[in-house]
Amino acid sequence: MNDLKLPIGVFFLILGALLCFTPSAGAPLTDAPVNLYVGVCALTFGAVMAWAGRHRA
Amino acid sequence: MLHLRAVDYAILILYFAFVLGIGMVVRRRVKSSGDFLNSGHSSPVWITSLAFIAANLGAQEVMGMCASGAKYGILTFHFYWIGAVPAMIFAGVFMMPFYYGSKARSVPEYLRLRFDDKTRALNALTFAAMTIFSSGISMYALGKLFQLVLGWSFEQSVLLSAAIVLIYTFTGGLTGAIYNEVLQFFLIVIGFAPLAILAVAKTGGWQGMASRLDPVMTHTWRYLGSPAENPMGMEAFGMVAGLGFVLSFGYWCTDFLVVQRALAAESMSAARRTPIIASIPKMIMPFIVIVPGIAAMALMKMNVGYTLPMKDGAYDYDMALTTMMAQFYPSGLLGLGLTALMASFMSGMAGNVTAFNTVFTCDLYQAHIRPHASDSHYLLVGRLTTVGGIALSIAAAYMAQSYNNILDVLQLVFSFVNPPLFATFLLGMFWKRTTSHGAFYGLLSGTLGAAVTHGLTVAEGKGGWLGTTLHVFPSTMAQNLWMSIMAWSVCFVLTIAVSLATRPKPESELHGLVWGLGKFPPDAGEPWYRRPVPLAIAVAVAATILNLLFW
Repeated sequence: MNDLKLPIGVFFLILGALLCFTPSAGAPLTDAPVNLYVGVCALTFGAVMAWAGRHRA
Repeated sequence: MLHLRAVDYAILILYFAFVLGIGMVVRRRVKSSGDFLNSGHSSPVWITSLAFIAANLGAQEVMGMCASGAKYGILTFHFYWIGAVPAMIFAGVFMMPFYYGSKARSVPEYLRLRFDDKTRALNALTFAAMTIFSSGISMYALGKLFQLVLGWSFEQSVLLSAAIVLIYTFTGGLTGAIYNEVLQFFLIVIGFAPLAILAVAKTGGWQGMASRLDPVMTHTWRYLGSPAENPMGMEAFGMVAGLGFVLSFGYWCTDFLVVQRALAAESMSAARRTPIIASIPKMIMPFIVIVPGIAAMALMKMNVGYTLPMKDGAYDYDMALTTMMAQFYPSGLLGLGLTALMASFMSGMAGNVTAFNTVFTCDLYQAHIRPHASDSHYLLVGRLTTVGGIALSIAAAYMAQSYNNILDVLQLVFSFVNPPLFATFLLGMFWKRTTSHGAFYGLLSGTLGAAVTHGLTVAEGKGGWLGTTLHVFPSTMAQNLWMSIMAWSVCFVLTIAVSLATRPKPESELHGLVWGLGKFPPDAGEPWYRRPVPLAIAVAVAATILNLLFW
């Protein structure tokens, strides 16, 4: 636990993967593939944090 | 009621696993009461800054602010741009040197060093009560949410969240809470930002949303000429003096819940920069948590099938956030949104519980019940206090049910405690003539002043318990702000009066505790972004620009 970036990065990588593989269905006022959009954002953020955590370690 | 699918539960479980995992890993580092209660003054500035803001990201910040956005419109932004940023800058530049430099473990302990034990005990007692209320409100919000949205029972929801918070604060102490608050901050941002974007886009962008609402809902200052012009029932003076000065400075400069995060920093410079850096995301947060509430009111005028539920003949604004999530979030994102809500409740609870731990253990138990016990004894007491604090919070959760806006009840609690405390600190830190008796009686009378104001005025059926009603406020928000002004003024005047009539401490006892007596480490060789003052100026300019843009 020398650096908190790594666990946060891993968390958002898993979260992003879950969202990317989940179809966006069931929201009355949304047509866009929002799960994919948010999933990609989470994956990117997770990758940056994980890289920063590893780099520091 | 929302129906979650497997992926939604998977996200919730993933979050719980990481939260508990962080608590367990941090447990190895907790070897003394100092590690448990104060995090050993070892955290880097980016962590303390995010924890500083995340500790305030409780139920009031998401459900309450979204509810206020729907009820009062963009006026709610003032809780950030006027009611937080200036006070956070002031805390970093002027107050943190005293807190950190005096090596006090808590705000009440600083009061002991500057004044005496009775002032410390009074503040410790009122603060402990306030943290329990705040934590209870987070629990209430969570219980209500999961009861209405997921069909879980109120008791089950409260007990589940309480059990998780208990585990990671019991094992990891302040460090466990701070580390989880950083994770919770990121989760809250990524969980709610899509809702604001989707909702505003649905209404036709910012201009489209504004065109569907009364102009007062999208202007921060234009309709503050008189209380009758806006739904909050406030005028500019009350907003600036009540919220922008008394209430916000009282909270951000003296509330140990947030000050504790800065005190965990690794150096004086990091402690001073903590609230200033935290004010940067604080400026952005209203776009994430308030705008969905404003957009909800616009959507109701668009005939797209969205409407706020009713409660006792009025809109149940507390449900604005969850009903909007139900409309805009598909499975997956819905699980993320609910997890973010859970994170906000838990960060609110954990922040209050860890602050309660420290104040009870250091300022009440160690100071007045058992002064000279071993460190392991205080570590045990700190852990047991965690259990007691959470149990009391559960009881407080039931008290919050009589209000239709949980932000109002939280501001009511703050009005009693923080404004008089800020007056005490202002005089204590910047006027060496302030005496211990002045501080104590000023603090006591300020709190009583708030109570009397509440007892003699009425707003939305609340208050007036002294039998005579001298004034009726148009909203509980206005009542709370004027209570704050009254509490601060009474404390300020009485502290000066009593101080002038009593003997002050000699200057030799005030070094490092009063402005002008003592020196702080220089930071002239550092780049501007590592120096508190230039950083504070940059943040102040940005906040001014935002106020002008949404005038």
